[in-house]
Amino acid sequence: MNSIAQQFRHTNPAHEAFQDNDNEFFESGVDLKMAPSITVPPISQPTEFLRAHTDDASNPDCKIKIAHGTTTLAFRFKEGIIVAVDSRATAGDWIASQTVNKVIRINPFLLGTMAGGAADCQYWETWLGTQCRLHELREKERISVAAASKILGNLVYQYKGMGLSMGTMVCGFTKKEGPTIYYVDSDGSRLKGDMFCVGSGQTFAYGVLDSNYKWDLSVEDALYLGKRSILAAQHRDAYSGGSINLYHVTESGWVYHGNFDFDDTFWKVKASEGSFNNVDA
Amino acid sequence: MDIVLGIKVSDGVVIATSKAATRGISILKDTDDKTRDLSDHNLMAFTGESGDTVQFAEYIQANIQLYNMREGHELSPYAVSHFVRNTLAKSLRSRKPYQVNALLAGYDTDKKTPSLSWIDYLGTKADLPYAAHGYAAFYTLSLLDHHYRKDMTVEDGLRLLKLCNKELNTRMPIDFKGLQVKVVNKDGVKVVDGEW
Amino acid sequence: MSNPASINGGSAVAMVGKDCVAIACDLRLGNQSLGVANNFEKVFQFGHVFLGLTGLATDVITLNETFRFKTNLYKMREERDIEPETFANLVSTSLYEKRFGPYFVGPIVAGINSKTNQPFICSFDSIGCIDYSKDFAVVGTASDQLYGMCEGLYEPNLSPDDLFETISQALLNANDRDALSGWGAAVYIITKDKISKRYLKSRQD
Repeated sequence: MNSIAQQFRHTNPAHEAFQDNDNEFFESGVDLKMAPSITVPPISQPTEFLRAHTDDASNPDCKIKIAHGTTTLAFRFKEGIIVAVDSRATAGDWIASQTVNKVIRINPFLLGTMAGGAADCQYWETWLGTQCRLHELREKERISVAAASKILGNLVYQYKGMGLSMGTMVCGFTKKEGPTIYYVDSDGSRLKGDMFCVGSGQTFAYGVLDSNYKWDLSVEDALYLGKRSILAAQHRDAYSGGSINLYHVTESGWVYHGNFDFDDTFWKVKASEGSFNNVDA
Repeated sequence: MDIVLGIKVSDGVVIATSKAATRGISILKDTDDKTRDLSDHNLMAFTGESGDTVQFAEYIQANIQLYNMREGHELSPYAVSHFVRNTLAKSLRSRKPYQVNALLAGYDTDKKTPSLSWIDYLGTKADLPYAAHGYAAFYTLSLLDHHYRKDMTVEDGLRLLKLCNKELNTRMPIDFKGLQVKVVNKDGVKVVDGEW
Repeated sequence: MSNPASINGGSAVAMVGKDCVAIACDLRLGNQSLGVANNFEKVFQFGHVFLGLTGLATDVITLNETFRFKTNLYKMREERDIEPETFANLVSTSLYEKRFGPYFVGPIVAGINSKTNQPFICSFDSIGCIDYSKDFAVVGTASDQLYGMCEGLYEPNLSPDDLFETISQALLNANDRDALSGWGAAVYIITKDKISKRYLKSRQD
């Protein structure tokens, strides 16, 4: 099939340029040939074309609406990492889904969060999973969070300017690194840190998270804080909502703490905290 | 990037505005007052297009004071907020609209109730327990949703404001040079001293 | 986005039943993605006629005040309240006056004619074209979703109680698929001699 496609494939200088450089950008042993070939528009400036037609940040009237809008967070604390995300996908003002899974289980020790283009995140983080597995087979040891996040970071950088839209956190626990979070986005930024909130509802989540965060939080309190921060964002941000997915990353891998419907959780939290006094019961 | 924040409590309203006056890449002043007293019990805080803001605020101030002098009584916060909204709504469809967002804090001396109105440059008006304009809203509203209580006192309101200020200082990308804080209650408008 | 009619968000719906009409709206007032207020009602009463106004919030407020003024004058001249059909024409002409600089609103009118006891509903475009309807009328950012819900749930000659259930479910479920509508809802059920208003508890996300 590929050989047939090869015959009819249109090549252009821009496309060839970044294929030639492939191996320079990757960690040794990571073979871009493993990456499925992604077609780019067969025109002289694919980046401009894609930006104009699929990136609604730079062109609000673009006709191809990619699912957007999210709140995701991850923070490090004494007992590991908490990862919490919402589950709404929107295409413009239309709520396309309230049950999106925005945490991708790369392997039993690594989680990736999804913000921005749903398909972009889903595809490339799944692809990252295969790269991590290949690393394990080659090196006979689990990949570090630093290396895994760098594979993703380098990959998205190859596509910079072509309209990939991703804001992701790669979270994991390894012997030598301990609990580690890397923020990776489609601009090519890659940052290690203790606390990140990503997506259209990030600021609302930061508000609650910053004011209640302590390194010495118990696991129970930390899980509640993660859930509560997402809840705050879902309430105020039109493009976040649905339900909350909660994870705890420990030295023996991640533990899933369940899916919490926004509606149930909101009224329960409001009653028990006496908060959300702008809303009449 | 200007900050304008308001919290209504049981016996008054707390208003905070950022002290930085920014033009382009420079901070021109770090003691800017983005509020005007409209009357004894009415205060307007504002942000928006430079030039428009102060012109608009002082135009409103002059008209409210003129009314007070002519009629010999103070306009209620409800009336003041509708006057401001109406002025902005009319301006919106003029040749050169005022690009000003405002918060109106008032104390109704007849009904003995505090009042807080959120009004944007389009003339959209909402009466709220707590409100903010600009980016500040994105950082502080979730905090206020969390901690606001209907029976709070001015002291509680100021404590809550401290929390908001802390969050703004940690997450805002530029220095806003602290806040100027005012309280409107039955005794009128007062500046709250202290480090903000 | 940057469309004036969908900056603030919000939707409204009206339905005809047996000797009754219903009109309902959500309570959200937003600024793009940011939810600002959850007490912004979009249905207004003028005597026994009801007007639902969605779209640009500043125009919603302005038009409510304009129609309050005009119906009050009408009442003084005619010594009676305005009828739904007359009010619909008033809305239409008032909107067309701004043909070349329109109010960015989506209005609906609902009421029962006090002489004939006939239920009446209709909707408008932003410059006053009247769309008369025998069953239901929808406006707002969730209008596509509302059409779907109404086409599915509506049946003719419903009792006031059944109409309440139908319009409430239509509005609530339509709002749950629109990012810019929701944050509570208000429903009016109108019969010849009784008007009831109820607030619905709804999702807050």
